[in-house]
Amino acid sequence: MKKEIQPGDISKNPEEQLIDISAEDLIPLPFPDGREDEQPPIKPLTEDQKAAYENSLDGVSVVAIPRPATKEEEERLVESFLNGLRKLLSKENNWTFWQQLMLTLDSCVKCQTCNEACPIYVSSGNQDIYRPTFRAEVLRRIKKKYIDKGGKFLAKLNGNDIELNWTTIARLAELAYRCTICRRCATWCPLGSDNGLVTHELRKLFSQEMGISTKELHESGSVQQLKVGGSTGVSPKAFMSMVEFMEDEIEEKTGKRVKVPVDKEGADILLIHNSGEFMSWLENPEAFSIIFDAAGVDYTLSSELGGYEGTNYGLFYDDVQFSRIVVQQAKVAKKLKVKKIMLGECGHAHKALTVIADRVLTGDLNIPRESFLPLLEDLVCNGKLKLDASRNDFPVTLQDPCNIVRLMGIIEPQRRIVRKICTQFREMEPHGVDNYCCGGGSGFAIHQSMNFPDWRMNVSGRMKVKQIMEAFQDCITPEIKKYVCTPCSNCKGQMRDLFSYYEMTDKYSIFYGGLVELVVNAMVDIKEPYLAWE
Amino acid sequence: MGGVVLAIFYGSIVFCIIALIVRMVKYARAPLHLRWEFYRSSSTYELIDWWTKPHTSFWDKLKSVALDIFLLRDYFRRNRGFWYWLYTFHIGLYLLVVWHVFIFIVPVVTNVDSNSTVGLVWGHVATFLVFVGAAGILIKRLTDKELKAYYSRLHYFKWLFILVTLAGGFYAVQVYFGGNMVGVFSYVRAQLAFELEHKLNPPVVTALHVLFVSPWLIYLPLGHVMQLFFRYYHELRWDHVPNTRGSNIERKVQKLLNQTVTWSAPHIQSGKKWGEVAQGLPETPAGEDK
Repeated sequence: MKKEIQPGDISKNPEEQLIDISAEDLIPLPFPDGREDEQPPIKPLTEDQKAAYENSLDGVSVVAIPRPATKEEEERLVESFLNGLRKLLSKENNWTFWQQLMLTLDSCVKCQTCNEACPIYVSSGNQDIYRPTFRAEVLRRIKKKYIDKGGKFLAKLNGNDIELNWTTIARLAELAYRCTICRRCATWCPLGSDNGLVTHELRKLFSQEMGISTKELHESGSVQQLKVGGSTGVSPKAFMSMVEFMEDEIEEKTGKRVKVPVDKEGADILLIHNSGEFMSWLENPEAFSIIFDAAGVDYTLSSELGGYEGTNYGLFYDDVQFSRIVVQQAKVAKKLKVKKIMLGECGHAHKALTVIADRVLTGDLNIPRESFLPLLEDLVCNGKLKLDASRNDFPVTLQDPCNIVRLMGIIEPQRRIVRKICTQFREMEPHGVDNYCCGGGSGFAIHQSMNFPDWRMNVSGRMKVKQIMEAFQDCITPEIKKYVCTPCSNCKGQMRDLFSYYEMTDKYSIFYGGLVELVVNAMVDIKEPYLAWE
Repeated sequence: MGGVVLAIFYGSIVFCIIALIVRMVKYARAPLHLRWEFYRSSSTYELIDWWTKPHTSFWDKLKSVALDIFLLRDYFRRNRGFWYWLYTFHIGLYLLVVWHVFIFIVPVVTNVDSNSTVGLVWGHVATFLVFVGAAGILIKRLTDKELKAYYSRLHYFKWLFILVTLAGGFYAVQVYFGGNMVGVFSYVRAQLAFELEHKLNPPVVTALHVLFVSPWLIYLPLGHVMQLFFRYYHELRWDHVPNTRGSNIERKVQKLLNQTVTWSAPHIQSGKKWGEVAQGLPETPAGEDK
């Protein structure tokens, strides 16, 4: 049964889980076969895992924080957290986001309006700890009691019963990874409070001060990218092999040999993909090459460190790693003397390099950066490609990646493209800037360890499953193939896992893929269908 | 007693003015932040070579801000039940604030020898709206499970205090001044003329009302109104404004990149400048992972 949890409860009862997630609490999913959720929806950790790692928030562990061995270690960690919080609240140390953070901490009027915006909170059956306000309120109360002058005295007057101990900190670290930073809550707040930012700042405090983050984001993510070249571990040499393979595959699929330009100096465009596309969805960068070749676009890829990886996990947890990656990417573009950098189908890469990096890159590193979507719209909608929409005569819906749509305002080009090349387009509801996150945002889609994937499937991804099933409810039978057009690598990773977990492909013939693949599938000059429906 | 009221009231005005200025300057001087906007509709990023196209104009942003402030748009869209009371309260408050400006201007520019029915009705309607709105908000905060959650005990006291202040104001105008605006204007004129006898021996009703208003003047610079300044000042000045070479923004960014990093995690070179730290991972001995 769902328990009512107050912010102060985060410091109490370290031996008990704050909440239990049970199938009855989760919002129902509209599967026509009426199937029920597994019970429990989230597999418990093993006894060894429970003993080793903090999991008393909700029985899930993703940060894998080891329990301190001694009381002294515990006190040191608490002091480190407080030092980090002081830095987070100082203009000098946190100039990057100080204004927005202070506004958020000080302007919330506790109207709880933002909670209903959150797909995680709603999908969980309104579990208190997943309220956008809960996380922010915990941080706010710690600040008021332990940082602000007269805090401990005023805490008594205000009923602020939060205690700063290891339990609070460890649970807060995990709680910082129960939000995808989709910022739907921020768009609902009438006062300008941004609870998605609170998640970002908490993760930053843990990473930049205490060295605590998830392995997937840090060691295997941003560190690997900076050292090896790709967050997926793709090295420059491996990348060049993939390019050769791409050219062979394109010839096999289309009958035409297309040269994929690499390291071409002076090109108009440096196109940067998410390296996950090369590993898992090679048909996507291939489709870009086919389209650009057909339209005569002057572009190049890069085989240099930083040049073939659009990912920037630093966006999700660490300003320093974020800055290092954008500088590395910009240096590659500068060396190649391109006119602009173009991001392929990766949502957070769009936001990171085009918008947020805007106030990190100066001088000759400030090379123009834009999305692939305006150019693709021009090619498709202004007749620069020969297309036949009847080749895409199947139901299609459109996934709106949060970082491209709500967080950059690129809403219409992809819709105009899909309407031009598909005959049975229907929107998910809600869509556009009101879209729901896929549930894999802020790096969740790459987190596969312990029992976090179960949480991602049953809680953070739940609303997306509901939306997709509802979008296709008039054609849900397996005889009709259906396509979720997903112009974002991270969303695709989440879709892959959701469709497998809920058997959406096997039982209902629902597939996912990028936007450029749909465009190529509509190209008249390519005889064979490009979509493989796999 | 009159001296005490005088000291408190004028002291609160002075505090209010100084604190407002101090806070506004503090907020205006917040460092330039990284861009973190969200969008309610299509942006220039939908266009090829967006950096050559005009970005969101200051007037478009100001229009959006004005609609937010005067219509409480997001509450209307997202929390309608609460909006009814909030809007009643706010619209009454705006009318009441302007009414106070009205009662200060009239005695200065006219002879105040005739009643103003419009002035009286305006004041009472405004007070009524604020009272009903505040009462509604207080009741909602006490009874609605969502609105009760995390709400500080001190704030309930604030709403009660508002209701008492409003009741005092109504009593002063309708009972003490007999619902006659001439009396109100004359009183205000005496205050503005700084008639010391009047100031040191104020009527009890008006003295009490002024004593209740003084805490609000002290609270104003510390309350949510200043948060709105904090938010909208930066939104109007910096949101959607791209960094271009040679711009003011670029100069500010370069200065910020020259600040020292003090974060302590192993992957960060504490003590170096931001610009240096952003060049890459710290050098490590071969085989050691950072």
